[in-house]
Amino acid sequence: MSSAVRTRVPLPGVGASSLRSWAAALLVLVCALLFSLPFWVTKPYLLHMGVLLFLAVIQGQAWNILGGYAGQHSLGHAAYFGLGAYTTVMLFERAQISPFTGIWLGVLLASLVSWGVGAITFRLRGPYFVLASISVAEIIRLLALHFKDFTRGAEGFLLSALPAFQLGPLEIELFSKRPFYFAALLVALWTTLVSWLVQRSKIGYYLQAVREDQDAAHSIGINLQAYKCLALVISAGFTAWAGGFYALFVKFIDPETVFGIDVSVQILLTCIVGGIGTLAGPALGALLLVPLSEFLRNPKGLVQLGLLSSDSSLVRLVEERLSHAHSFVYGLLLVVIILFSPEGLWGLVKRWFAPARGEG
Amino acid sequence: MAALLELRQVCKTFGGLRANWNVSFGVQRNSIVGLIGPNGAGKTTLFSCITGYYAPSAGDVLFEGKRVNGLRPDQVCRLGMVRTWQKVRPMPKLSVLDNVMVGALLRTWSLRRARAVAEEQLAAVGLDRQANMLAGALPIGQRKRLEVARALATQPTMVLLDEVMGGLNPAESNEMIALILSLKTRGLTLVVIEHDMRAIMAVSDRVIVLNSGEMLAEGSPRDVANNPDVISAYLGQKVD
Amino acid sequence: MQMFFQAVLSGLLMGGVYSLIGIGLTIIFGVMQVINFAHGDLVMVGMYVTWLLFSYFHLDPFLSIVLTAPLLFVLGAVIQRVTIQRVLGAASENQILLTIGIGLLLSNTAMLLFTSDYQLLTTSYSSSSFSVFGMSVSQPLVVAFAITGVVAAGLYAFLMKTDTGQAIRATAQDREAAQLMGINVSRMSVLAFGIGAALAGTAGALIAPTYYIFPQVGHAFTLKSFVIVVLGGMGSVVGATLGGILIGIVESLAALYLASGLKECVVFGLFLLLLLFRPSGLLGRART
Repeated sequence: MSSAVRTRVPLPGVGASSLRSWAAALLVLVCALLFSLPFWVTKPYLLHMGVLLFLAVIQGQAWNILGGYAGQHSLGHAAYFGLGAYTTVMLFERAQISPFTGIWLGVLLASLVSWGVGAITFRLRGPYFVLASISVAEIIRLLALHFKDFTRGAEGFLLSALPAFQLGPLEIELFSKRPFYFAALLVALWTTLVSWLVQRSKIGYYLQAVREDQDAAHSIGINLQAYKCLALVISAGFTAWAGGFYALFVKFIDPETVFGIDVSVQILLTCIVGGIGTLAGPALGALLLVPLSEFLRNPKGLVQLGLLSSDSSLVRLVEERLSHAHSFVYGLLLVVIILFSPEGLWGLVKRWFAPARGEG
Repeated sequence: MAALLELRQVCKTFGGLRANWNVSFGVQRNSIVGLIGPNGAGKTTLFSCITGYYAPSAGDVLFEGKRVNGLRPDQVCRLGMVRTWQKVRPMPKLSVLDNVMVGALLRTWSLRRARAVAEEQLAAVGLDRQANMLAGALPIGQRKRLEVARALATQPTMVLLDEVMGGLNPAESNEMIALILSLKTRGLTLVVIEHDMRAIMAVSDRVIVLNSGEMLAEGSPRDVANNPDVISAYLGQKVD
Repeated sequence: MQMFFQAVLSGLLMGGVYSLIGIGLTIIFGVMQVINFAHGDLVMVGMYVTWLLFSYFHLDPFLSIVLTAPLLFVLGAVIQRVTIQRVLGAASENQILLTIGIGLLLSNTAMLLFTSDYQLLTTSYSSSSFSVFGMSVSQPLVVAFAITGVVAAGLYAFLMKTDTGQAIRATAQDREAAQLMGINVSRMSVLAFGIGAALAGTAGALIAPTYYIFPQVGHAFTLKSFVIVVLGGMGSVVGATLGGILIGIVESLAALYLASGLKECVVFGLFLLLLLFRPSGLLGRART
């Protein structure tokens, strides 16, 4: 894959060829770094942030398959996140089913539900689909709130002690953050890989065709309903896994935290800020948003990391006045990105590296 | 000889409006049928009925002897009938090559094979040099050709072209006429909606005239052109 | 049976307020085809403005509408001019995301300014009620309903009888044609958003005496107002009026016969059914 003369424009997200080799090398380096991190970093808060970052990447990559490739902007992915979380937790707390099995049952349930949701809502286009997706998630959230005997309602579930994880002959205790860190990292890489494979397959081409022009896609042999549902099912499955994992990691869930529209907005934001429809987008978005929101939500965390002293005025400012500023920043980022760079951070990077496009 | 495509008393109504009414004709294999009529005559609606976008309110559409009304557009395409659009629909953020590959992927899962088919079709319509351009950057003439290439990549038996001459300058029109005729040489069957009478005369084996949803006339291009009803339907537009 | 009528009545009154919100949204959609996800937050702004005027200047919430509505109008016009105007040609997904962002900015600014504490605006008549045929009817809601009627009638007259109103309707019907006829469609868009915001703010003012006021209160209204707009037909003011009342009654009856926690489920479930089977609404003709 050579030359500077050919202005190859491959599928969006893969970028110009020199950019691609740089990105690949960087990826390998970053992966090595990430895998080795727990061995030379002692502060557990950093691992904690790492896990949250990887979860954001998982959710972002998952959403991207439906929203970025297929162009169906679901704002209801919280439904699948929450289903994953509640299934895992409820099966463990009420039926004593191992959470390591429960999490996969959550994935299964969410996939089935998403298939049904897709069957109903994919008849709708554009903003109507968005509205329908929100409605579905809200209905599920309200049901979870209402049926208190089943889900403990607004009280939520506090997880009791987790059993150890059997990996062949190894028994991994889950007291520290390390096993969570590795598990999340592995699944984040796995989700990214799946996204990459989808992108360079017939499925990827078909989904992008659906995004570009549904009626044209229909006329050249694409079964719209089937492919959109496929994208949704894959997307929902990964999102549900992230939900189950989140529940096991944070050990407390309630309907607002896992079914709330904030979850859906956050996922969307990660992809938009990073670069919608691209492979690097969710990673870039997560890299920006997770530390930012963590700092705003929990400024003491930076103190734990030794980056700020505990009586720093910045910490006090954030704690006292900006305790929900992460949401404000989300809003600001959304507005700024849509107005000035709808292709997100990755779009900016691409424009910098490969300005000549489209001249044949 | 059995017709490849046969319409039997096809009707399509929207509320009280008769968009198509009792349209019946057959299209022989490897022939080109021109479909003409004033604006609003129901030509594009007929295409939509044939290719599954609408289900006919009454009547039957038979392709290769089998009833196809009620099938989805993607199913119709899979059977071998593909349409192009009056208002071109490039997939703007995909490259020209990727556009056509999407068409080719109907018949294969291999990207390599799809790319080969796509490159072949691009060469056939003369767009091979633009393969790596974004489809959204193409001018109208090339967009029309892209749409034809994409349709051809689905390896159809029959192609329905909807006003493919629209917006083309005379040189581009001539090229398009040559392209259409070459498709017939390739063994394809075509139905062509057109306003450009010169093009219709040049390519059609038979011409069907629609007016207000109903069939007005049918016959050889020369006969139809000289038909007084047809001439008055077009409000005295001269045809040579 | 008594309870049924009681529920219908309270639903009717609340529905009036919903109508106002819905009318605002439908005008915005009609003129710009923008789905305004910040609409509920505009209601919230109206509530807070009313509360501030009441707390600091002791202005009666219903009377202060003469201040609140213009203020919200200006806010809406500014939002439209600065942000939404720029994405009118863009993909609808981007427009949605933009308005979501604006909504987040609005609700979180309120959060930063006023914290998430629930505020109460208690007037002398906040908990008063009339007795009508043995049913108890909240006084402030009756006044709110009356004011809604007046505002809706005034708006209808404006749209039908004045030049500007007709220009707005023309833009809503066919933007290009309106432009060709010399109508400044950009200005119409700004006006439409301003009016929509003013209506939302007015609705907020009307319910301020009877609702808890907190930054997230708008969210419940946003989705509901979409239901109303789709129910009545996108772009139809009459439709939004009837739709609002219908939703108010449906919600009230759902709370009575099912459970209070499920009433919104019913509304959203209705929404899904509507989107699937009658997206043009009970009254309207589809314009998508």
